[in-house]
Amino acid sequence: MPELSYREAVRDALATAMRQDDGVFIMGEDIAEMGGSMGVTSGMLEEFGRERVRNTPISEMALAGAAIGAALQGMRPVAEIMYEDFMTLAAEQVVNQAAKLRYMSGGQLTVPVVFRTQGGAGWSPGAQHAQQLEAWFVHIPGLKVVFASTPEDVRGLLWSAIYDDNPVVFFEHRTLYGIKGNVPEKIEPIPIGKARVHREGEDVTVIATGRLVHESLAAAEEAEKQGVSVEVVDPRTLQPLDEETLVTSVKKTNRAVVAHEAVTRMGFGAEVASVLQYQAFDWLDAPIERVGAKFSPLPFAPVMEQFVVPHADDVLQAILRTVNKA
Amino acid sequence: MVDECHRTNHKLRAVAKVETKTSLAKGDLRDVLREMLLIRRFEEKVEERFRAGDLPGFLHVAIGQEACAVGVCRALEDGDIIASTHRAHGHTLAKGTHPNELMAELYGKTEGCSHGYGGSMHLYDVERGNMGANAVIGGGLPHITGAALAFQMRGEPRVALAFFGDGATNIGTFHESLNLAQLWKVPAVFVLEDNKWAESTPESQHSPIRDLSERAKAFGMKALKADGQDVEAVYKTARQALEHARSGKGPVFVHLDCVRLHGHYIGDPQVYRDKDEARKLAETRDPITMLRGKLELSDEEFEELDVEVTEIVEASVEFAKNGTDPAPEDALKNIYA
Amino acid sequence: MATEVKLPRLGQGMESGTIVRWLKSEGEQVAKGEPLYELDTDKVTQEVEAEASGVLLKIAIPEGEVEVGKTIAFIGKEGETVAVEAPAPQPKVSDTETVSDTVQEPEPKRVSEPTTNGRIKASPLARRLARERGIDLASLRGSGPEGRIVAQDVETPAPAAARPAAPVPTGEVTSQPLSNIRKTIARRLTEAWTVPAFMLTVSADMTRANELVARRRELEPDVRVTVTDVLTRVCAQALVRHRGMNVQYTEDALLSFPNANVGIAVAAPQGLVVPVVHNAEQLSLSQIAQARGDLVGRARDAKLRAEDLEGGTFTISNLGMFDVDQFVAVLNPPQASILAVGATRDQVVPVDGDLHVVPMMTMTLTCDHRAVDGATGAEFLKTIKTFLEDPGLAL
Repeated sequence: MPELSYREAVRDALATAMRQDDGVFIMGEDIAEMGGSMGVTSGMLEEFGRERVRNTPISEMALAGAAIGAALQGMRPVAEIMYEDFMTLAAEQVVNQAAKLRYMSGGQLTVPVVFRTQGGAGWSPGAQHAQQLEAWFVHIPGLKVVFASTPEDVRGLLWSAIYDDNPVVFFEHRTLYGIKGNVPEKIEPIPIGKARVHREGEDVTVIATGRLVHESLAAAEEAEKQGVSVEVVDPRTLQPLDEETLVTSVKKTNRAVVAHEAVTRMGFGAEVASVLQYQAFDWLDAPIERVGAKFSPLPFAPVMEQFVVPHADDVLQAILRTVNKA
Repeated sequence: MVDECHRTNHKLRAVAKVETKTSLAKGDLRDVLREMLLIRRFEEKVEERFRAGDLPGFLHVAIGQEACAVGVCRALEDGDIIASTHRAHGHTLAKGTHPNELMAELYGKTEGCSHGYGGSMHLYDVERGNMGANAVIGGGLPHITGAALAFQMRGEPRVALAFFGDGATNIGTFHESLNLAQLWKVPAVFVLEDNKWAESTPESQHSPIRDLSERAKAFGMKALKADGQDVEAVYKTARQALEHARSGKGPVFVHLDCVRLHGHYIGDPQVYRDKDEARKLAETRDPITMLRGKLELSDEEFEELDVEVTEIVEASVEFAKNGTDPAPEDALKNIYA
Repeated sequence: MATEVKLPRLGQGMESGTIVRWLKSEGEQVAKGEPLYELDTDKVTQEVEAEASGVLLKIAIPEGEVEVGKTIAFIGKEGETVAVEAPAPQPKVSDTETVSDTVQEPEPKRVSEPTTNGRIKASPLARRLARERGIDLASLRGSGPEGRIVAQDVETPAPAAARPAAPVPTGEVTSQPLSNIRKTIARRLTEAWTVPAFMLTVSADMTRANELVARRRELEPDVRVTVTDVLTRVCAQALVRHRGMNVQYTEDALLSFPNANVGIAVAAPQGLVVPVVHNAEQLSLSQIAQARGDLVGRARDAKLRAEDLEGGTFTISNLGMFDVDQFVAVLNPPQASILAVGATRDQVVPVDGDLHVVPMMTMTLTCDHRAVDGATGAEFLKTIKTFLEDPGLAL
């Protein structure tokens, strides 16, 4: 099986789609010669030319809106919003327009657009360059939201997002771009809305997204040594949520921890916890734990950033609390 | 409803055959007047029905701006698309949506052009090239840039056209969309219906410059001007702009000087507007009166037209009132493709 | 408002100190700055000054080790009343756990009550399991945080398992996985077995005890006094006369209890339980009979409460009804002794040279030798025999 980095996996999905389909093109800031601020689109200008690898001015609304406009006319554009924080600028178009056009038109319009963006702390980017805002977008009916955590998943899911006829907000995680993983020889589309069980266990289910999937796997190893068997599940798609897989897992283990890098309070994890509480109420042997960033903007100084952002040990402590071994 | 526009090799069915002449023929002008009068009577009826409590939500009528809608839409060709504003009834009718479907939508019926999902500010008629009204000022502008981009990339001889008001020239999407459109030289036309009012704020209070065409020039975009109350002038100017854009020379900014004869929304008492000024405008700058004068129509001839369009409008109300209410659960449909 | 005198932190890292003696007595005037008491810390014995002036209203802790920050005295105006923290309730350390229904924490955790203000803390899963199995949550003890009852605490063998197993088809060996209760029993009794214990056996003439039971039943037919009730009464009276028996061994100290809380082993449907008759030394025979009747009834209905199973200082295990002559009971930790009672049988006993047929009951006392010496146990057992043979002495 070939090995690709997460970054290469994203590029592979984009480039393969563009090779076989004239309707697919990419637009974003600095994606041409520079190959994108995260190097994702590196080399694509050379292969596809300026027509289909479009640098835009710093105009998130026009960037997002033009992608929407092209999608309305039958193209499948993939717009890159450089930082998740800047989704706030594009949000008017993503939330007021893309999410609702099909609905408001009574089903006449289809908006097959993908908004790719990335976030992630751990390198002192400061409060405006590392936010994790998935909670905002899963809250908007009409949007699909995807957040993959491995090269195989990100490639298969981006492919599905491109070919989904709905607007998809596709989150990537900055610190994962360099991780390597095995991928199938040919792109295998991964269905949107399906979770993945990374590790099976008996005592507690950890539901994690993005970077925290990897932190949770590390925590699970540690917990194993302490006699606690942990199951780790990555929802992969945040909206629509694969409730069935999550609930089935928690009914098996009777305990749950939800972990994400985003701020805990009012986060995506709160919704998952609510779903689990409701559907697996009589199976819960402990309160559902949530692991996430503390309620503050992201500080600059490394020691403070380290404090705010969740790590494997936070997941481990949460695991242990559920089995009353903390 | 099938959305044909989003397929790569689309085939737009023409609903109204559009003349491809640079100016309106004399024979057409009677038709044009009829169309403008239809819009006028429709909007008056909408105001009446709203005041009677028939219509939910809130509405913005385009009374006084009929020449802009009709003049521009007549200039479009098959395959061209428009995006409108919150004041969309005129554009929607001018682009070919039947008054029945429009009225039914205002009444929230499934027979409405948006099947009851959109209402006055979210009117869509994709088959007829109407990409929709927009409740967010400037919300549709980037879509037009994007649509034009798609036409360009696919080599289609189509133009994407946006309507917007003077208030919209201040919002971010306006600047971003025009900038990008000009940068990429996409086949787009941006039509400013400059009625000198942004809701209750006169232009002198929302813009530091007096001639809003300057804004287009700031992007290096070609700008054309016309008297928005003179439908012939509007048509001619629109034709020029479309020709320019369609030929690949880049987008065009069309600045139409027009008049909003009524308030911002139905029921707006316009406390901020000089009553005498408004009355004077009604007398001297009504596009229908102006065209009627040009055509030298007799009272009887005008009456005939009026009766005709009034019947259509009244039939549309009947149609709407007898329409089908959506089932409450229908609210959960059409969210995802 | 009276000033609370709290044990001060006199040095970094000081967590407690030992009050050696008070330099002022209750009711005496104290001036701020005057030495109030002597305190022994790790490093030195020193005088501690009063931080307020007034009358030393109350000395809450006269001597001994105290944690930093704890209130040790009150200074205020003459005549002021002070609320002194009630002494800790009967040691929960001596819990007579119902082996059938609860699991003991392996770590030395503070035993927690699952009830707070009448509300039982139980996880949704535990509640469901209890509901499905017809187990009363109130009869369970929680091993979860803050005494929450969790699934583990509820897992009991299905009631069917308590009944004699269906005949196994010949040739087949069946294996039943150990329930948590079985595991707990195994663990606790293995533990108990490791305690150095000695056993003393004695037989008592039950003639007069039986007469007492009969007479009582005549006088109070509703109360249904039994031999076990007499035994309970007798043992309770014996315990308060032999206080050296009403003790428990702990690593640091020998605990001595003021009341005789007598546990009675009951074979309930779900397994062995030992409900406790508290303060049995204060109860009349009828009262004991009533208490016992109530407890045994509820044990059989699986409706025992946590407090029914706690606080025991002694256990009586009576297998007489199963015709057992004599047996040795395993200690019920942390109690220091347990009395195993056999059946009462007519035996031929020489009395003053003649042979008499006498109803004899054999009892065996098992004692924790770390807490109780042979002589103490023997004297205690002798008292029991004496009281049984002449119940009037114990009534």
